Amino acid sequence: MKRTTFYILAGIVGLLEVGAFWLSVELHGPLLIILAFIAGIMLLYLARRKIHDLKEDERAVLINEKAAVRTFQVFWVVFFAISLGDVVLGLGAPGFPRQPRPPNEGLVPLGHIGIVQLLLLFLMIILYVGFRFYYARQYGEWETDEEQD
Amino acid sequence: MKNRIKVFRAMHDLTQEALANELGVTRQTILAIEKGKYDPSLDLAFKIARYFGVTIEDVFSP
Repeated sequence: MKRTTFYILAGIVGLLEVGAFWLSVELHGPLLIILAFIAGIMLLYLARRKIHDLKEDERAVLINEKAAVRTFQVFWVVFFAISLGDVVLGLGAPGFPRQPRPPNEGLVPLGHIGIVQLLLLFLMIILYVGFRFYYARQYGEWETDEEQD
Repeated sequence: MKNRIKVFRAMHDLTQEALANELGVTRQTILAIEKGKYDPSLDLAFKIARYFGVTIEDVFSP
C-alpha cells in the first residue's frame, strides 16, 4: 500500500467515525461510537503496517520519542490542574459566592466530563504536533544541501 | 560530533541516497549526520565505518 492510499483510507475512516458519532447520539447508544472508534483505530494500525514506501529509521524514532515524552510532561500537569479544579467544583468547596446547586444534580454531569476530556486530548494532539515539528527541525529534518532534489 | 562521511562518500563516489539505502536509513538522516545535527547510534556509526572499510575513529571524532 502506498502512503497516499493510507491517507485516503484515514480520511474515509475519519468520515465514518463522524457518521458513527452522529448515529450514536441519535440512538442514545454510546457503545456504538466506542466500538466504531476502536475498530477504526485498529484498521488504521493494520493498514499502516502495510505501507511499503514508509521508511522509519532511528532518527525518526528518536524524534517521535522526544515529542511524546515532552507532550506527556506538559499534559500531565495540565490534566492534573484541571482535574483538581473539577474536584473542587464537584465537592462544592466553601469560600466562593455562587448559586446553590440543585439537590438532584449529583457531582458533575458525565457528558461535561467527556467534553473536557476531548478538549484535553485535542490539546495533547496540538502539543505533540508542535513538539514533533520542533524536534524534527532540531534533528535536521528540513536541512538542505547541494544534493537536494 | 564531527565526522568525515562526506569525504568517504566522495572517495567512494556515493550519493547520500545510495549510502542511506545501503545502511537502511533515510537520506535525511545521512544529511543530518553530515551536518552535525544528529549523532548516530553506536550501531549505525559502526555500520557506516564498516561500510567504508575503516575504523569508527576514522569517521567520527569528538
